[in-house]
Amino acid sequence: MPSARGPERGRRSWPTRGCHLSLIANILVNVTVFVLLAVGGGLGSAWYMIEAGSRLSTRTAGPWTTWSAAGRSDADPYTRAHIVRDGLLPLASTLEITYQAKADSRGGRLHSGCEYTIVMDHFGATWWSLAAFDGQGGLIPNAAERFAFNSDNVMREPDGRAIIALARDARPGNWLPISGSRVNLVLTVQDPAWAAAVYEGGAKPLPAIQRLACR
Amino acid sequence: MTMPKLPQWLKEVGWRTVAGALLLGGIIHILATMAVPIVSSGHAFARLQESLPLNQMVVLPPPAPGKQPLPFLPPDALYAMCRYDISVDLVLVTAPMAQAGWTLSLHTPQGDNFYVMPAQESRRGTVSLTLVPSAERLGEFATTPRRISAQETQVASPSWQGLVVLRAPLKGLAWRAETEAALRRASCTPVKRS
Repeated sequence: MPSARGPERGRRSWPTRGCHLSLIANILVNVTVFVLLAVGGGLGSAWYMIEAGSRLSTRTAGPWTTWSAAGRSDADPYTRAHIVRDGLLPLASTLEITYQAKADSRGGRLHSGCEYTIVMDHFGATWWSLAAFDGQGGLIPNAAERFAFNSDNVMREPDGRAIIALARDARPGNWLPISGSRVNLVLTVQDPAWAAAVYEGGAKPLPAIQRLACR
Repeated sequence: MTMPKLPQWLKEVGWRTVAGALLLGGIIHILATMAVPIVSSGHAFARLQESLPLNQMVVLPPPAPGKQPLPFLPPDALYAMCRYDISVDLVLVTAPMAQAGWTLSLHTPQGDNFYVMPAQESRRGTVSLTLVPSAERLGEFATTPRRISAQETQVASPSWQGLVVLRAPLKGLAWRAETEAALRRASCTPVKRS
């Protein structure tokens, strides 16, 4: 025989269970957000700072980016991690500076399906080298076995400029073959004064990467 | 203009959760950044270790697709490298600086370039230097003698091991044989401590 207090007790238990469920859901939401924000945010931001860099560790001029402290013993932790992770062996910026470009001057990702032109006219007597790599830093196979041009072997215009064409198929003049999918360009400038100026935060003019056409 | 309505579950997130997560995220960010140079196995020294015998200068084959010693290494140059270890003997490095543009550089296993010498019009010919432990390293072995001939250039290495890299830019294919021959004159020789 049910007691007179039974249904009353039952009615009281429903709101209590609801509170418990609500509390558990609240804890689950908070724990999930905490883990995602802490682990995802911490690791994600570290990966971005090491892989892409920021104004703390890189200098940018148009499409060109350089890790200005690369190779130095007083390099910041992001630069140090970037160098180690990518397996690089840079010369200290007391002698030369290395820029990398992954995009053209309009911001489009460098791709072998497109044709580009670069006019080298900013360097005077300074030794420079322009090389094309795939997305992982490997050389791009080509029948001409041509992977780079430098200030010693490039053909120049009568006014001293050097015009370099990046394309899948042969072009007259300084043709730098590209193929595969993504392309990275590396520009090395051997000039201590230039390197020191960039390390101190100064800007130097660098050649534009003009996209001519895409397939 | 109305603000977008937040999902109901997001209103359950307390500010203490967000603040704690940001704090822990910052700690994870710092730890991950500092850990990469320590735990990474893909750094340049590790990649070259197998192919470079200890204290010997090796002229590397010309960079070619699939046969690059390191990623993003300028391909319009030839390289001679030496993996040195000065924990037992000192190492004497000799290098012909045949042309302007040649560089002789010294690197720690972590990639720090602690010494670089470029060839210049006014400074050609063979250079010679002796790698010695830095004062900090010698402090660990205070009894180690370090008397070396006064005529030689000494360079203090901040690490017991490291890399010597001699880079010779190629003007063109016609210069390859001549450049390779010059690179073969470079050497890395252990020298007994006297």
